[in-house]
Amino acid sequence: MTTAETLEQIFRMVFDDDSIEIRPDLTANDVDGWDSLSHVNLITTVEAKFGIRFTQKELLKQRNVGDLLTDIDRKLAEK
Amino acid sequence: MNANLASACTTVQCQRGLADKLAMRMIGARGERTDYSFGDLEALSNRFANALGTLGIAAGDILFTFLPKTTEQFVAFLGTLKTQAVCGTLFSNFGEDALLDRLGDSRAAAIVTRKSLYKKVARIRDRLPALRTVILIDGEDDAANGVVSYARIMSEASPAFSAPPTSPDTPSVLHYTSGSTGKPKGVLHRHGSLASQSATACEVLGLTENDIYWCTADQGWVTGTSYGIIAPWSLGVTQVHYAGGYDPQAWMELLAEEQITVWYSAPTALRMLMRAEDELFASADLSRLRSIFSVGEPLNPEVIAWARRVLKRDIYDTWFQTETGAIMVANRPGLAICPGSMGKPVAGVEPAILADDGAPLPDGAQGNLCFKPGWPSMFVEYLNNPAAYRSKFQNGWYYTGDTARRDEQGYYWFMGRSDDVINTAGHLISPFEVESALLEIEEIAESGVIGAPDELLFEKVVAFVHLHARFQPSKDLEIKIRLHVSNRASSIATPQEIIFCAGIPKNKSGKIMRRVLKARYLGEDPGDTSTLEI
Repeated sequence: MTTAETLEQIFRMVFDDDSIEIRPDLTANDVDGWDSLSHVNLITTVEAKFGIRFTQKELLKQRNVGDLLTDIDRKLAEK
Repeated sequence: MNANLASACTTVQCQRGLADKLAMRMIGARGERTDYSFGDLEALSNRFANALGTLGIAAGDILFTFLPKTTEQFVAFLGTLKTQAVCGTLFSNFGEDALLDRLGDSRAAAIVTRKSLYKKVARIRDRLPALRTVILIDGEDDAANGVVSYARIMSEASPAFSAPPTSPDTPSVLHYTSGSTGKPKGVLHRHGSLASQSATACEVLGLTENDIYWCTADQGWVTGTSYGIIAPWSLGVTQVHYAGGYDPQAWMELLAEEQITVWYSAPTALRMLMRAEDELFASADLSRLRSIFSVGEPLNPEVIAWARRVLKRDIYDTWFQTETGAIMVANRPGLAICPGSMGKPVAGVEPAILADDGAPLPDGAQGNLCFKPGWPSMFVEYLNNPAAYRSKFQNGWYYTGDTARRDEQGYYWFMGRSDDVINTAGHLISPFEVESALLEIEEIAESGVIGAPDELLFEKVVAFVHLHARFQPSKDLEIKIRLHVSNRASSIATPQEIIFCAGIPKNKSGKIMRRVLKARYLGEDPGDTSTLEI
């Protein structure tokens, strides 16, 4: 399973919506329920499922799913 | 006599000659702007009112909106009230359990929502026999399932509607609020609440017809309806509404570009803004911004100091609750701010600090914050729960559930809650609701939920969890717990901290002793534990 496919599964689980299809330009404004508190759920789940940790600076720079995917791939490569 | 508050927001404004005036600029999540005049709002809400008539929704019926910040949210709210049906609003992040509690208890006849959110309602629809009609703002008709297209019913309805004569006591707005025990309670208001809402918008917020006003509250909560719909429009004030989420840069740009003059927000949002770089604020032209107000939870003095340093302005903290319907105690321009205080009472309300036995307490003493009943926006009932309503009134006073003290200068200071309700980011969370959601998880044997101090959220939800013997704590289980509560109750109810423990303290009658859990969490003395069973 690719990183994007795993991330899509995480999105569906976090936002309780099996129809979510992620794409690089997807932002919090495109997904019902993606508020600051559910964002914490998203990041916590991403970190646990991929076995990575984001820095505060990385989190602040992530503007969309594309940024998130890039950071995940980079951290997985560094492992 | 027509005390219809929706008519006051649109019909009366048009009669005053403001039909062409900008009533609402709706700014989409990607910055797109759509303008609506008071005449537009009048015609749209009239169409909705007529459409409800066609659908058989009548005076006294209950309709809920379950929408994010969209134009349809405002149109449906006003249109419903024009017909004398009751309009409830649901926070768009509610999960199935929260929806079932509210739609079920109120026996709602209709809901206005959109496809992506309707999925949650569809899963519980078979347990909502009274819910006849679902109006989808982005969907097609599906007669077999009682689903109708908003676009169709609006296009077929007339833009002319005359609200029937409405007395001040006619039921109007319904919000559910959490208690420390039992299910959430439906707080019902009346059309006469407008008197308090518009008076405080003048007296406290200082709104005039020349203002451009932005209230960031979601329409799912009382601030979003009282001060994000009713009060400003009843005064002919232009409102800006933003559909996007929290984004410091977007917010500063909005304040500057829209030339906002009065801004009403919340402490958590302001504390989040404090974390942004100071340069962000230096580059924004806030020269038109006259006043900033805050509501939801106490505004800590650090935020006021930050605003004075960075925004070059004061922030005025205000206090009210779902049951009061309108601001009761407030800091406001013209009154020296005592940072950290709630301010002073608004005109026409009579507060008191009372002991549990009803005895008045002297200045400086902490006690129950109470009000003499009778202010116009006082709630009229807890739906289907007269005993709970009666319990709020004792010895001729309304007990708010908050504790406070009054100083010698007459300022009131919030001290805490007199019950276990958790105030997280300005939202009241029932520990009982979170505990109920936790017990739905297979691995959990019992749970106890408390609120604990938090720098950003004011209070955070902390869950103590005792697992069945065959399960072990794990990171995966922690995530499962977080997501379950978030999706069944709401994102705001999500435990920010989960503590696995060997047992939950209860008294001999099985009641969870949250006081003991809280003391344990804070490292304090739990006090009398003579009734502790475990």
